[in-house]
Amino acid sequence: MESSAEGTAAALDIECENCGAELVVEAYLKTVECPYCTSHSIVERPPTTGREEPTFGLAFQVEAERARAAVERWLKSRGLFAHSGLKAATLETVRGVVVPAYLYGVVAEADCLASFCEDSAATERYTDSKGRRRSRRRTKTEWRDLSGSYARYVVDVLVTASRGIPNAELEAVEPFDLRGLRRYAPAMLSGWIAEEPSLPREGCRREAHAETIERMGRWLEEFMPGDSHRDLAYECEVRDELIDLVLLPLWVFAARYDPAKPPVRVLLNGQTGAIAGKVPLSPVKIAVAVTLGLSIALAAAFAFLSARGMS
Amino acid sequence: MTAAAISHCARCDSPLERGDLRCAICAEVVPSSSGKAHALEVQLLRCDGCGAAVTFDAKLQGLSCAFCDSLMHLEVLTDPVEQTESWVPFTVPQEEAHAALKAWLSRLGWFRPSDLSARARIEALRPLWWVAWTFDATVRVSWAADSDAGSGRSNWAPHSGQVELHFDDIPVSASRGLTDDETQELAPFYDLATAKSAPDELEGATFETFDVQRSAARRRILKEVKRASRERVQQAHIPGSSYRNVHVSPLLRGLETHRYSLPAYVMAYRYNGELYRAVVCGQDAGCVTGKAPYSLMKILLVAGVALALGLAVARVILAQ
Repeated sequence: MESSAEGTAAALDIECENCGAELVVEAYLKTVECPYCTSHSIVERPPTTGREEPTFGLAFQVEAERARAAVERWLKSRGLFAHSGLKAATLETVRGVVVPAYLYGVVAEADCLASFCEDSAATERYTDSKGRRRSRRRTKTEWRDLSGSYARYVVDVLVTASRGIPNAELEAVEPFDLRGLRRYAPAMLSGWIAEEPSLPREGCRREAHAETIERMGRWLEEFMPGDSHRDLAYECEVRDELIDLVLLPLWVFAARYDPAKPPVRVLLNGQTGAIAGKVPLSPVKIAVAVTLGLSIALAAAFAFLSARGMS
Repeated sequence: MTAAAISHCARCDSPLERGDLRCAICAEVVPSSSGKAHALEVQLLRCDGCGAAVTFDAKLQGLSCAFCDSLMHLEVLTDPVEQTESWVPFTVPQEEAHAALKAWLSRLGWFRPSDLSARARIEALRPLWWVAWTFDATVRVSWAADSDAGSGRSNWAPHSGQVELHFDDIPVSASRGLTDDETQELAPFYDLATAKSAPDELEGATFETFDVQRSAARRRILKEVKRASRERVQQAHIPGSSYRNVHVSPLLRGLETHRYSLPAYVMAYRYNGELYRAVVCGQDAGCVTGKAPYSLMKILLVAGVALALGLAVARVILAQ
């Protein structure tokens, strides 16, 4: 078990109920495994410490061996420019972590204003340079301003509540199938590493709100009539906010591809099996490719110039 | 009232059914029925079978004991296969349905095979209950479209609006046996107020059952709400006489769904190896729908005669 400086302050000493051994539960964790008898204990802290009880949880569906095999396959197929060490990378610290996140939903109403272009085909008569009467088809466009309102439910916006997993990393392995939600029961954490939410709820709410506004913008783009539109401006109001703490299953891998470099983190969605991670590129491969490309271009330019010079 | 409803969503007033963890419309969390203890608690999970410690197993989707393999279960979102709540009774007796079908077959027209009435066995007309949902809802629909109203020199002008719509007893077919065309023909002829809690006893009747789970049914109904909203907006709210690029965004309140079994008489018959079917509404003998074969001979004959006539006319004209 890793220890953290700030964690020990609020860490909890408990006694393993199975064998009586003394166990320390770090402040950011909800579970602990007894090293002597492999019993799993789950800690439910009182709400007075400012901790929030999760509402729902999603269960792991991908087992450890399947997750490991999938990540190994994934590392081997990272494309031409990936660091060559990835193919032989060793997977260190494979962990199934139950990560806290907020599930957010609102009724969103937007007032929007845009300019719409409507095309129309018209036949135009004209006299050409030789004095003949001619006609031609031309597309005419007309621009009009229109304002309107748009309302809908925005549900199932997920944002991370863990300092350890940034939102962008979580988004990379989304979506989760939320039909599989279960009401939180401490039992579902048994045997997994479970984190307490480490980001403040208000900050997460703001992040989810921002994501909602951005989604509304995308939906509004699709909602617009006309052949085309421009200058779409919208103001979005939300009401009836829902924000619930949920626990998400993630497999976290550290892949060491180079003994001299820190390992790269790969996440696997413990429910759907989606994989994401920041792939290290090989500077040597890129340099070779760039040099090769440049020399081909130079050779072609030279050949072209000398051919012109000869003629 | 939806029979299976246990309470209503605090936010959008849609009924919540047993096993729902969240509202299907607006995602509001359904409060847990059991209160939670808020004391510092350390739990050790032990297998009920042998007393060993247990872990949540991804493969078994439950808590499993490594020593004796027994399984413990967690509260899971239940997603039952739906069942009929109400049965609309047959009001058309079998003989009347026979007569209606015979009349329909004879009305089909001259292009049908002459021996169709004789070879289609009307005795094979069987009573059947097909399944459908109906929904009631209040929907605030935001819409946007191009219409010819106020279009000036171009063909189209953009329009948008928001309108509150009420839907009552809008049928949505859940039948796999009947096609959507057939169910749309039949649906307006039923009087849902006559529905009973049990089917009539009828000899040889076929009972179709709902075969989708609740979550799939809800998706289907939401799609239908959107389609119905679009239709209503197109009929009544877009100005002008023609339109395009119609977009709708429904904001639902109080969506209630009911599950019905609806009566019909069905006759499936083969003609020259092809399967055809005719359906008579079980509550109105005036509604008969279905498919029937065409007679290729007759069509060719008419086409031949028409061609010959055309040629003759052309010759007369050219000769002048």
